Amino acid sequence: MGGIRELGTDSDTGPRAEQTFFEDPAIDRVLGLTMALASEVYVLRDRLRALEARLAEADVVAPDALDAEPDPEEIARSAADRDAFVAHLLNNLLGEQASKGAR
Amino acid sequence: MSAPHTSAPPAIDGRSFAAAQAFLLSTKLYWTREIFPALKRDYEMRAADADKQPESAADVAALIGDTTLYRSYAWLERHLQRFKYSGRYGLQPYHAQARGALEPSIDPARLPADILELDPEFEQPAYYTSVDIHQHPGGVWSDEIAGFVYERGARTTTPTHGARHQDLHDRLADAIEAGGAPERVLDMGCGFGKSTEPIYERFRDAAVVGVDLAAPCLKLAARRAADHQARNVRFAQRDATATGFEDGTFDVVTSTMLLHEMPPKKIEAAFAEAHRLLKPGGRMVHLDFHHLPDAFARFIHYGHGRRNNEPFMEPFAKMDLESVLAAKGFDTVAVTPFEEADGALDPGHADWRFPWTLIVAERAA
Repeated sequence: MGGIRELGTDSDTGPRAEQTFFEDPAIDRVLGLTMALASEVYVLRDRLRALEARLAEADVVAPDALDAEPDPEEIARSAADRDAFVAHLLNNLLGEQASKGAR
Repeated sequence: MSAPHTSAPPAIDGRSFAAAQAFLLSTKLYWTREIFPALKRDYEMRAADADKQPESAADVAALIGDTTLYRSYAWLERHLQRFKYSGRYGLQPYHAQARGALEPSIDPARLPADILELDPEFEQPAYYTSVDIHQHPGGVWSDEIAGFVYERGARTTTPTHGARHQDLHDRLADAIEAGGAPERVLDMGCGFGKSTEPIYERFRDAAVVGVDLAAPCLKLAARRAADHQARNVRFAQRDATATGFEDGTFDVVTSTMLLHEMPPKKIEAAFAEAHRLLKPGGRMVHLDFHHLPDAFARFIHYGHGRRNNEPFMEPFAKMDLESVLAAKGFDTVAVTPFEEADGALDPGHADWRFPWTLIVAERAA
């Protein structure tokens, strides 16, 4: 039932083993990493929204201009950057060595 | 080999802290309102197909303990709480960086006379220091700022209530008042005074005393009472199992979310102490987590205790309170489900909730 370890079995002073819930503790740890990144993403979204609001108040940008769907030319201009972003993310799934090492 | 990285982490600004905490709260609300009900539905479907109906928490574990949904549910319960208290945007580091402003604000020298009694020689019981309850690093007792961390954390203990969380403590004051307006009240395990506040605010003519093990929490409780200009309350660092007050001092002894933090022997000692402290005809009114009407509720609650670093949650829930209280000399004992918010006890209530229970017992007149 989740492979929960007892606390306090390691030592009285050092770090104690974290509880694990998945069959492979790697899943527990990767989930933690994902949640940490998700919170950073939300912190960024929050700051960006605050920044945009201040810029709008100062008449530097018009919120409507930021929120409007970009025209096809703007979407095309960002395509290469988007493709590179996606490749950076998904090439991890290919399982290929990026530099030539042992076969 | 490079030198170890020793510089202090950069300070976290208030906006980023608040955004990260708000994100965690939204995540916890999703867990409360969506993931828990989904887990329960999954359990009910599996139980309906089972040869034998689950009777124990272990039976429930055998049905759903290995499902990905349950593992995810449990992981989130454990780690959302970890992120709340620890890590870059945790309550503990955020308050620690404000230590210079927080510590002087609860300096006992700046409090009204007689509102706070601390014991410099006080020795904490081993059960209390062996685990950091609620995953609060250092527990609620070891750091001068622990009361502030606890107070901020407790604002979202029951996230679906939001601002109505105060209702919970007000409703306990209702339960106290149901036995008549008290004259002398003891609040055992008062923490930073959240449970004590509605009592001293409502019963202005009563003398109210809050006791707790944790000096940092007591200091904050006294600060908050002083800020409220309360003249009928004082706080003292004393163990609820051996308070040192004279026999028959109080007509009400109460606690809120205290009993489940103590091992059963200490709980029994606290009941015995309450009996000694009550005047004849006095009442004990405790609000805690005990009513677990089915195997699924027990499985969920015991797991919560493990995941929230509250090792006595399960042993307390398994105590036969009616028998224990009768053995301690209490005459009238009532252990009843407690509706902490409107509709919480309705059969259709699907969200996760604590198994709130009101425990009332009287000392014979």
